[in-house]
Amino acid sequence: MEKTFLKTSRLNQFLETLRLFGELHGPTVSESGVHRFSQLHDPAELQLDYRRTQIPPKKYLLPFREEILHYASGSYSEGYAGAGDLVLFGVHSCDLEGIAYLDRVFLAEPVDTGYATRRSRLTLIGISCEPDDFCFCTEGMESSSCDLFLDAVADGFRLSSHSARGTALLTAAEQLLEEGPPPAPRPSGPRLLPQDPQLRFSEHPLWRRFASTCVSCGACSVCCPTCYCFDVREYPSLSGGGTRIREWDNCLFASHGEVAGANFRPDRLDRLRYRFLHKYCGFTPLQGITSCVGCGRCKEVCPVGIDLRELTAPPEREER
Amino acid sequence: MKKAQHTPHIPFAARLLERRDLSEDTTLFRIAPEEGALAELSSFVPGQFVQLSVPGAGEIPISPADLPAPDGTLELCVRRVGHVTELLHKQQTGARLGIRGPFGSGFPLREMAGRPVLLLAGGLGIAPLRSLLMHLLRQRSSYGEVTLMYGAKQPRLMLFREELTALAATGGLRLYLTVDFAPETSEGEYSCAIGLLPDLLKGFRFDAVNTYAAVCGPPPLYRCLVTDLERAGVAAERILLSLERRMRCGIGRCCHCALGQKLCCVDGPVFRASELKGIPEAL
Repeated sequence: MEKTFLKTSRLNQFLETLRLFGELHGPTVSESGVHRFSQLHDPAELQLDYRRTQIPPKKYLLPFREEILHYASGSYSEGYAGAGDLVLFGVHSCDLEGIAYLDRVFLAEPVDTGYATRRSRLTLIGISCEPDDFCFCTEGMESSSCDLFLDAVADGFRLSSHSARGTALLTAAEQLLEEGPPPAPRPSGPRLLPQDPQLRFSEHPLWRRFASTCVSCGACSVCCPTCYCFDVREYPSLSGGGTRIREWDNCLFASHGEVAGANFRPDRLDRLRYRFLHKYCGFTPLQGITSCVGCGRCKEVCPVGIDLRELTAPPEREER
Repeated sequence: MKKAQHTPHIPFAARLLERRDLSEDTTLFRIAPEEGALAELSSFVPGQFVQLSVPGAGEIPISPADLPAPDGTLELCVRRVGHVTELLHKQQTGARLGIRGPFGSGFPLREMAGRPVLLLAGGLGIAPLRSLLMHLLRQRSSYGEVTLMYGAKQPRLMLFREELTALAATGGLRLYLTVDFAPETSEGEYSCAIGLLPDLLKGFRFDAVNTYAAVCGPPPLYRCLVTDLERAGVAAERILLSLERRMRCGIGRCCHCALGQKLCCVDGPVFRASELKGIPEAL
């Protein structure tokens, strides 16, 4: 039998071992009581019973704002700052699946240099979770889109490796592990697509109802693990050079659909429908692939209580 | 020198060689890209776009007004309309710029071979269509009848007027120019801002079954013309629309140019009218 069981009492030592693989980050709580992923200076900061962080781990791969190009002496050059090795501990399956989706977008040809660099230096350690009222994932999902997954049981964790790096982690932590039954594989199920094809059109009553309350604040997009739209800006420097940055953008903002002299999504209804069309039905070349991972953040943060689960309800249940 | 492992989001250096004002706010810029950019740019198909950088200001998607010249230089017709174009218009010859591309899909030239082509341009829409027109005229024997209908707001805003008239005089091109209003006529009285181009089309007899139509202009123009062209008998598959969106990255990532589930930068900017049916925000 393989040594794959970690007793809860040895978790802190295990975390120390993880530090050998990079700067250790995990779920913590801020002074204002908000759950977040941040550096773990002390194991006591770890909040393993968290439900969801406000900002998903996409922030490690797609910083809110980053310099992508520098302009100096007549030419542009790559502006990415080097990334260090990072170990992200305690990520739920939904967020792991979110990263897996971003991988499909940013690691596809042409590979995004900044994303790829950071991704290659990121070690992901998943952990099982207890869904709450906001979650809409497939229950009991265990994502394999990580290096190591920890399935929490009564007195410890059953570990399963999903990559060569995961196996290296197990080897490094061998002294701390005990023999135990291998975790039962729990394949992640397919996520629900909207059942009603009429949802693609603005006339659907659900959109009208959502749009009548939506305030276009964009919170659902900011906290979505798979929303990656970005804007690009450039700023001159006094020395004659310049810096081009990209930063998170938001399709719920009116400016998103603007062109000279027109706006193709002037109304909230259009923008809401557009966002969910992208989320659930995908874009070229990821058309048909839903990118909602069921983390429930959008429902939790929505100030007017828009509940996307209504989208996936069978059509006959919809009010007409 | 071509850089090793050039990534498509890093612009190549380019110089502003020449500038020619076409109207009060629109200028034709001739750009000389550095050698490393030439191989990529030589694959340009009319209808595709490049990303032009003005250092310190940013980047804008521009559909070149002609194919690259034999020396690799490129003509870009740009209206002064926003932050980046404002700064571009202030640049003098010799200024350093940046360029990357070409991106997106151009006009389906192979499919159009042997067929009559009807180009419909409104305002600045003449710029992308001019590269198609130049291609058609250079390969004149490979295509059927070539017709250009071009509408501008008023005579002084008409771009390339003399050049187009000269091309028409060679007999290779049927040219119809129109303006929405002429200031000489009674003051303040002018027809619908897009009225005249569809009016021109109404009186036009052509081989609708075989014709390919290429349309570029301000947003409202497409809706009018697609309906009119279909009514005249042109199949939606052969109505080619060059669309404008704010492509930021040009490589299908930033999602700024989305229309429905398509991205203008990779699936377009040239679309068939048939592809856009059922996408409410497309036109």
